[in-house]
Amino acid sequence: MDKSNELKISRRSVIKMGALFAGTLAVGVLPGQLAQADPNIPKYPDQLGFMHDQQKCIGCRKCATACKTTNKWEDGVKWRRVISSGRPEVYLSISCNHCEKPVCVSVCPVKAYKKRDKDGIVVHDKEICVGCKYCLYACPYHAPQLSEETGRITKCHFCYERQAKGLKPACVEACPTQALTFGRLVDLQKTEGGVAQIQWLPAPELTKPSLVVIPK
Amino acid sequence: MEMHWNWLVVTYLFLGGLGAGAYLTSFAAELGWLGNNSGLKRMGYYIAGPIVGLGTLLLVFDLGQGFYKPWLLVRLVTNFSSVMTWGTIVLAVFILVGLLKGYLTYKNEAVPGAVTWAGAILAVATGGYTGFLISVIEAIPFWSSGIIPVIFFVSALSTGLSITVLLAHIFEKEASDKGREDLTHIFLILAELGAVAVFMWVMNSGGNGLIAKKSAALVISGKYALQFWGIFIGLGLLFPLAVYTVQHLASKAAKPTVKDTSAAAEMTAGGQKQHHSYLTIIADSSVLVGGFALRALIIFAALPIWDGIMIP
Repeated sequence: MDKSNELKISRRSVIKMGALFAGTLAVGVLPGQLAQADPNIPKYPDQLGFMHDQQKCIGCRKCATACKTTNKWEDGVKWRRVISSGRPEVYLSISCNHCEKPVCVSVCPVKAYKKRDKDGIVVHDKEICVGCKYCLYACPYHAPQLSEETGRITKCHFCYERQAKGLKPACVEACPTQALTFGRLVDLQKTEGGVAQIQWLPAPELTKPSLVVIPK
Repeated sequence: MEMHWNWLVVTYLFLGGLGAGAYLTSFAAELGWLGNNSGLKRMGYYIAGPIVGLGTLLLVFDLGQGFYKPWLLVRLVTNFSSVMTWGTIVLAVFILVGLLKGYLTYKNEAVPGAVTWAGAILAVATGGYTGFLISVIEAIPFWSSGIIPVIFFVSALSTGLSITVLLAHIFEKEASDKGREDLTHIFLILAELGAVAVFMWVMNSGGNGLIAKKSAALVISGKYALQFWGIFIGLGLLFPLAVYTVQHLASKAAKPTVKDTSAAAEMTAGGQKQHHSYLTIIADSSVLVGGFALRALIIFAALPIWDGIMIP
């Protein structure tokens, strides 16, 4: 009877446990590595980006309003937000940053997100979104937004349809002080005083956002 | 930022681990790792597929489109760079293999070794997946740690062992040895305590950044402190650890006396056995409550790396 309490590990069972462990690693570790691998090996030379000049922004929120009317936001979502700072007259207008390493594209199990090759715009297809909400946690900028009413995600698509007609994105067009502009990211990055990150925002290394801010 | 994953997701993560752990419990028993005449060789196989299936069903309820457009769910297996796609595949196959193994076991039919082993490997992947799913999310520093899958997996084994013991004691009438259940569970709980201690120490010391430290503070000393110390650590780990340790020592001490039997000694032993199985039910139930609390704490203490509303 006492023997049942002793550990008897034969060579055979060690080999079996080894095989089990190796199998586990193969099944378990692989997805983790894939998720971290950069899915976009070709860079985006014509990547479009937004630039927000905090020195020019007056906090009128016309960018967000124009976006809402143009893109008919579903209930409870905000494609563009104007955030007030604790300091007087300091604002940040922010939407999807159409990142170079868009984590939404890699985590979405149904491939609802696509990053366009020609301009790097990240477009979300609400018609195939299942509403798993994984991207809400994955995006450090809270660009994907859930509508409780429709049970699906929507987000900024850089007004790619307007741009195809030669128009500016609705938010940029509505800005009365030219605080919010857009263009090729490589050009925006040459702007004097422009930075890739302001304090408290996520480190840009995380997703490489196509955003330039001129801080105040 | 509003956090949208709720009790359905917590339950799903818990049940995923529970079913995987139940399968591995019977698998270990079948291989003789839990003693020569373990009574746990069947029950885990019966319940693994149904438990994980139930969890997956709950997840479908949580999907915004689960009822509106369920046909969209077919696409869940399309993005191979998404951990969720991998998990969907692993869970779907595990449910099928688990049901097959459970059915054949119930019918007392021979099960090909390949099926049994495939199920075991899928069970390990399922248990690990529930942690992997959140550990790859860098925007939630409290989740972004390789220790999370380890904790979830050990907890899966522990809760799986408990549910199998509970149900086997109730439904399996055949007499069997208690074998190494207690000893195994002692090791599992110690491993879980160690992993949680390392995890909390890393998070609380700022090793994963200030936001992770804030999350850790919510759990250790903030609004979830009672649930963490009382339900998870106290009720879910320390109490069952004490019960299993006492039982293990008692069974070790009792065994020689059973051999040189007298009527009185037998009666004492019998009485003790009843007492033990009663305590076992409470301890195993506590393990399940603790395992559920663990998932809830980790999910609800998540704080985003940037809340989306604060700028300097």
